[in-house]
Amino acid sequence: MTGALFVQSAVIGLSIGSIYILMALGLTLMFGMMHIINFAHGAIYMLGAFVIYYVYFQWGAPYFAAFVLAMLLLGAGGYLVERSIYRPIKGGIEPTLVALLALTTLLQAAGYPIFGTLDKHVPPVFSGTRNVLGVMISAERLMIIPVAVVLVVSLYLFINKTRMGAAMRAIEQDKEAAALQGVNVNVINGLAFAVGFALAAAAGALMAPIFKLDPMMGEQPLLKAFIIIILGGLGSIPGAILGGLILGLIDSIVATALGAEPAFLLSFVFIILLLLFRPTGLFGHAP
Amino acid sequence: MPRSARTVSVLVVVLALLMLLPLVGGDYYIYIFALVFINVILAASLRPSLTCGQLNIGHSAFMCIGAYTSALLAKNLGVPFEVSLLCGAILAAAVGLAIGYPSLRLRGVYFAMVTVAFVEAIRLIASIWVPLTRGNAGLSGVPKPSVLGMTLSTKTSQYYLALFLMLVVLVILYKLEQSRLGLVWKSIGMADNLAQSLGVNIANYKLLAFSLGCFFAGVAGAFYAHFIRFLFPPEFGFLLATNILIYNFVGGRGHFAGPIVGAAFLSLLSEPFRGSPYETIFYSIVMLLTILFLPGGLVTLPGKLAGLRWWKSVSTPSPSPAA
Repeated sequence: MTGALFVQSAVIGLSIGSIYILMALGLTLMFGMMHIINFAHGAIYMLGAFVIYYVYFQWGAPYFAAFVLAMLLLGAGGYLVERSIYRPIKGGIEPTLVALLALTTLLQAAGYPIFGTLDKHVPPVFSGTRNVLGVMISAERLMIIPVAVVLVVSLYLFINKTRMGAAMRAIEQDKEAAALQGVNVNVINGLAFAVGFALAAAAGALMAPIFKLDPMMGEQPLLKAFIIIILGGLGSIPGAILGGLILGLIDSIVATALGAEPAFLLSFVFIILLLLFRPTGLFGHAP
Repeated sequence: MPRSARTVSVLVVVLALLMLLPLVGGDYYIYIFALVFINVILAASLRPSLTCGQLNIGHSAFMCIGAYTSALLAKNLGVPFEVSLLCGAILAAAVGLAIGYPSLRLRGVYFAMVTVAFVEAIRLIASIWVPLTRGNAGLSGVPKPSVLGMTLSTKTSQYYLALFLMLVVLVILYKLEQSRLGLVWKSIGMADNLAQSLGVNIANYKLLAFSLGCFFAGVAGAFYAHFIRFLFPPEFGFLLATNILIYNFVGGRGHFAGPIVGAAFLSLLSEPFRGSPYETIFYSIVMLLTILFLPGGLVTLPGKLAGLRWWKSVSTPSPSPAA
């Protein structure tokens, strides 16, 4: 592999890694508070991309407006899912996981009659290429990185500096104690659902101009996000960020050298080995 | 009539109807019911793992391993059906051990995530190992099943083979659930800390339940391969794995009949739109409604209805004996 090819796949890895981080952050946030894995995350990513397709491409709204709309719409959807699925099941983890699985297959399958069976494409938003360390990278992929950084920093500030963020951290530490201190656990859980869904929608909306759109498009990023949160340690937000960067880089470099399928198989083998020898993840604490 | 006698008579009637079906129904019904039997094996074989509280979202991967192993052995090496079926099942169980060993020692969600990723890994291997599996072009020309050297060329004879396999698997699983092993599994599912404190090696028992399920998923896959005679990697994806879980949860987790009822009910009702997105939409909606409104699954429905009648008879004023 030449130096230029290496730089190119590193930068692309960084931008793919940013998408994975957005996906993994919501998953790890929801896991930390409710001990559930949101299997519907991939389907929400797909819906985020389709909001861009319709609002930006078909109806001609500005990309930024469509992007914000995708986050708001699916964030509201996340709150509704908490209301109508998570809350009535009352914390039974297994039934909740199965219900979220059913929601995933429902959204994916409903995508075919609603969006049509042909692959959709969204025209580029930022055209042309930019010079990075002497290598030309498409502006589209490059733009993902600052947007993701803004979202991650806002999430960090939200969790650490606001009252609602403090309530989230309190639930993560001890749900009963938080409730006794007057935290409305239901509403804050709903907020976590909304934040997680909005981040997944943002990831999908960012990728819409780059990849083709189809109802199953969320499955790959979901699996990558699983690998990241196992890598970084379940429930750990710094772990999700570092895990996302590592996986994005490895993924892009291995995929450039060997192809996408071997890259996925390799990361799967890596996860099995990690679970054998360091089950709490690279950055997690003992459970 | 005592409960057990009623259960036995229901079983005898159902079995007699299934035995007589090929005499009454045409090839279409034979084909559909053989597929239902495969689904019943898949659903029931997931139960031991679920009883231990382990959410296996990758059961279709083990079906895939059984299917391809058996098909390739029979097609390329001319191995007899009985042997190739057993090899497929054993390989599925062995892979299950290898995947389960690292992931089952941790809390349940790790196992759930690893199994989801594993489905994708197996599907990818089946699609990219083209020289062996022919990849996404599909593996065709799988030999028909044979028993003791006789090829079962008619769909009717294959139907009886499927019925026989299903009954054998169900009897084995039922006996295991009634045995001490079944009790241990149940205790792990209800309170694993307590079970562990009583000296149960929970990791090993979970692993046993899981790989046993993989073995029978391999059996189902092997029969499927020789029955459909065409294998296509995407068929063994995440969707099928979710469906197998849905059979268990819609049927009911609390009773051995749950997965059987769930698999039969859903596969038969969704028959008009099999293979279309509407099948998945139907499954998902039934699943969500069941979890929200009938958490015990379909097997608890008769009890609930009986409870409803009881409630009505109490609420309607009845002539008091004193009057």
